[in-house]
This record gives sequence, structure tokens and C-alpha cells, in this order.
Amino acid sequence: MLDFAVYSITIIAVWSILALSLNIQFGMTGLVNFGQILPFALGAYAAGIAASLGYPWWIGALAGLIAAPLIALLVIMPAQRLAQDYWALITLGAAEIFRLTVLNTPALTGGADGLNVPRIIDPILAMTIAVAVLIVTFLLAQRISSSPYGRMLRVVREDEILASTLGRSPIRYQASVSVIAWMMAAAAGVTYAHITGYVAPSSFTVTETFIIWTAVILGGPGRNMGVIFGAAIIQLLGVSSRFIAQWIDLPPDLIANLRLASFGLVLVLMFLYRPQGLIPEAKQVHDAERD
Amino acid sequence: MIQVLVNSIVYASEIAIIAVGVSLCYSILRFANFAHIQFAVVGGYLTYSFATIPGLALPLPLAMLASAVMTGLMAILIDILVFSRLRNTSAEGKMIVSWGVALFIRSIVAAIYGGSARVFDVPSSTIVVGDAVFTTLDVIIACATLVLMVALHLFLYRTRIGSGLRALASNQELAVTRGIPGDRLIRLMWFLSGSLAAIGGSLIAIQTRLQPSMDLVIMLPIFAAVTIGGLSNVFGAVTGALILSLAQNFLIWFDFGTLLFGDPWHIPTKFRDYVAVLALVLVLLLRSRSSAAAAKR
Repeated sequence: MLDFAVYSITIIAVWSILALSLNIQFGMTGLVNFGQILPFALGAYAAGIAASLGYPWWIGALAGLIAAPLIALLVIMPAQRLAQDYWALITLGAAEIFRLTVLNTPALTGGADGLNVPRIIDPILAMTIAVAVLIVTFLLAQRISSSPYGRMLRVVREDEILASTLGRSPIRYQASVSVIAWMMAAAAGVTYAHITGYVAPSSFTVTETFIIWTAVILGGPGRNMGVIFGAAIIQLLGVSSRFIAQWIDLPPDLIANLRLASFGLVLVLMFLYRPQGLIPEAKQVHDAERD
Repeated sequence: MIQVLVNSIVYASEIAIIAVGVSLCYSILRFANFAHIQFAVVGGYLTYSFATIPGLALPLPLAMLASAVMTGLMAILIDILVFSRLRNTSAEGKMIVSWGVALFIRSIVAAIYGGSARVFDVPSSTIVVGDAVFTTLDVIIACATLVLMVALHLFLYRTRIGSGLRALASNQELAVTRGIPGDRLIRLMWFLSGSLAAIGGSLIAIQTRLQPSMDLVIMLPIFAAVTIGGLSNVFGAVTGALILSLAQNFLIWFDFGTLLFGDPWHIPTKFRDYVAVLALVLVLLLRSRSSAAAAKR
């Protein structure tokens, strides 16, 4: 039972980092990123490739944290000054292209078989590391949220033209927030790789991006505490459905599919009936005279 | 050379017939409907069921027709349950919800049919023209798409209902105040795009195979085709599919090796999807310099 709790907290921590990274893009800035799994995969593969080449873990971590913002800027270039639909398509396309590249370069990435990564054997240590990365990410996200920069991000979300008339370039805010968010997700990827001890393209599909989205929509876009709550519920649903599968003798892939269907349903129902999420964003009121 | 053209036309036909639905939806409801890809998957599986269930075992064309009607009705049902309640939501909101719907449909299909691939057993003979080899099935696919696209064109441009749909696309509020029954026409749009997607999905499944993960295979080419054609232009989607398909097949056919280093070398077929994303990026880069640039900044 204790093992299960430790494992759950570890998994929830990793996915909470991803939810936070999507939240500062979508919740705060209004960017629809349908490829948020890409920086996560970049981090995980940086760790995997560094390990397979015999480098210590921190080289992989560093490589992931450098690669993610660079790729973020590369992906944002064609999408700048375009409507959200295109932004979503570009990020989705980029994530799929990365997955295909991994599949097609077996010499470097192990192809569909994946790569082994040195695993953190002690579950308590793994949990501590994951929670530590989460705390750092959370403090950073909170800092962004309450800073003037974060307020400007919300202005960009609500009205890009208003942001422009204030003399701020929306694309600069969108690009910089993406860079920060993608580094967070890459950090989650590095952590994930060392916790599971294994990276393969099947862990980084469109479906995984959508699990992050469901967590953010469920918890409450715009509120950091909310999206962690959302990620926790989604991941607890995920791990507990394995026990349900054991109790009521159903094939595991049927359970997996029904679980995904329920995530889709949760996303749709939340949007229809409670679009502000379980823990909604507090309306910020600022007194121009004071701050 | 003829082979490249034939391959391109067949592939473009399959993509175009699904892509027009995305354009129809975008032009009238103003959002990129990701759930549309799942209509094709559902259509493929329904056709398979109608054609193989013992006691029913419809002939394939009838099975496809039944599947098209069922998928069209399913699209209407989804509109009633979900999208009709979101008419005033932002485009991003609708797009995100369409992802939720897509995830739901895809998982339900995978739960019902399982993950294993299914193959349609269709007798087909080979035709040789010059140095090109193709099958009667390829010809049927291209002809079926041509007929459907011409029919869609006539419907949109020669009938009263069709011009009602176009009025909705160009100015929804004005169209409704002028007495055009908005909701009923939107339902019709869902039916049309759902059933076209079902036929497209069935054709792809008949030619290759049926798998729950086929949505991932067709998603990028379809959205690339729609983007190339300009999201809200129905026949732009057909042109986009043709351009994309020609680009993909020509790049794979072209012997870059002889040109560059003297030894024959081709781009491997597995890089098809890269062309789709590359085309998407190119179109967006060019577009951001022109029309959209004025709107922002």
C-alpha cells in the first residue's frame, strides 16, 4: 500500500509539471498547444541518448533543457502572427514529426524498441526527486502568475490587440512563455526517463498530450493549484483503473481504452458545464493607483 | 512518371474526400474540427461490420452507403449533444472540445473492435499502362471521389439548400435574419461531412487496412491539405490534397542521388509525412507575410 502511494505521488508529480507547463501557455496566455508532449519527449530522449552514449545524467538533462527552448522557437516561427487554429496544427505536426523521426532513426534512438536509461532504483528517492522538480516548477509558475509579466500574459490572452496598443508585442510574450514552458516539460521528461528507466516513442503520442489537456481543463485553466489537482485526479483514475481491471476480470487494453474514453468525456463535460474548472482562476483586480 | 501521377491521384482522392468535411465545418462553424478524422475511422469500421456480420453481409457498395448514413447521423447526434451548445464559444474552445470528442470516439472504437488490424477481402485485378501498374480498385476510388466531388459542387452551387449553406458560411447573422434556417442547415452540414468522411475512411481501409490507429496516419496529410487550400474553402481542400499528394509522390520518386553525387538515391517512403508538415509550415510562413500580417501587430 505504501509502495502504491509512493508510486502514485511520483507519477502525479511528473504529470503535474506537464500540466503546469501547459497551464502557463494555455491557461495564462491562451496558446493552444496540441504538441505539449514534444518537449517532454525531447527531455526524455536527451536523457536516453546521453545514457546510451555513456555520458553522465546531467549531460542529458542539460541537453534536454537546451534543446527544448530552441525547438520551441523553431516551432513558433511559422505560427507567429497566425490564428490559434494554425498554432494548434503546427505544434501537433511538430510532435508527430518528432515521434516519426525517433521511429526512423533506430541507430540513435533505438527506433520503436526505445532506449534504456539508468533507473533510480529506490522508489522513495525517485519520488523525492520528482516532487522536488515539481516544487521548483510550481514556484516558478506562481512567480510568473503574480508578476507584471504574468499580468501581461493575461492581457495577451484576453485581447492581443489591446496588448499591442499598450506597446507590447504579443508574439514576444507568446514566444518567451513557450520557452519557459517547454523547459519545464523537458525537465519533466528527463525526470520521467530516469524514473521509468526506459524511453520509447509509444509513450509520446497525441494521446499523452490529451491527457495533459484533460488535467488542465478539469482542474481549472489559469490556476496553478487547480491544474495540479486536475493532474492528480487524472493520474489516480489511471492507476486505480488497473486495480479495477484485476478485480473485474476484463482485458487490460479494453480497460485502457475505456479509461481514455472517460478522459475524453471528462474534457467535453467540463467544457460544457464548468468551463472554469474545479478550482477556477481568481479574477484579478488591480488598482492602477497602487500597483 | 505515369505511376507517380496515378499514385498521386488515388492518394489525393482519399484525402480530399475527408478534407472537404473539415473545410465545410470550418467555413460554417469557424473551428478546426479534429473529431472529423474519427468520422473516417468510424465509417471504415461500420463498413467493415455491415459487410462482414453474418446474416447481414451486405455487398460492399451497400455497406459503404449504410455506413455513410450512420456516420452522418452520428455527426448530427454529436452536434446536438455537444457542438450546438458551444455556438457562442471561442474557436479555441470548440477546437479543444473537438479533441475531447475525438479521444472519446477513438477509444470507444478501439474498445469495441480491439487493436488488431482488419483487411477487406476485395478481388482486384491489375492494369498496366506504359510503365505504370495500378489496380481496378485504384480506378474505382478515383472515380468515386470524382463523382462525389462533382455532386457536392452541384449541390452547393446549383440548389437552394446549397446556396443557403454558402450564405451561412459567408455571413451567419445576416443569413439567419434573412430567413435561412441556420440550425437545420448546420445539421445538414454535419450529415454531409460525416458521411463523406465515412466513405473516405472506408476507401482508405479497403485499399490498405483497418486499424484504430489509422487516424494518426491520415491526420497530418488531411490537415496539411486543408491548410494548403485555405481552411474555409471547400474545393481548396481538393486542390490542397492534389498539391500535397503530387509533392509527396514526386519527392519520393525523384532521384536526388544521381543529381547530387552520381549514385541513385531516393528519399525513403517513410518520410511522406515530413512533406505534409513541411508543406504546412511553408504555407503558413508565406501566409504570415501577406494577409494575416496586417491583422496582428
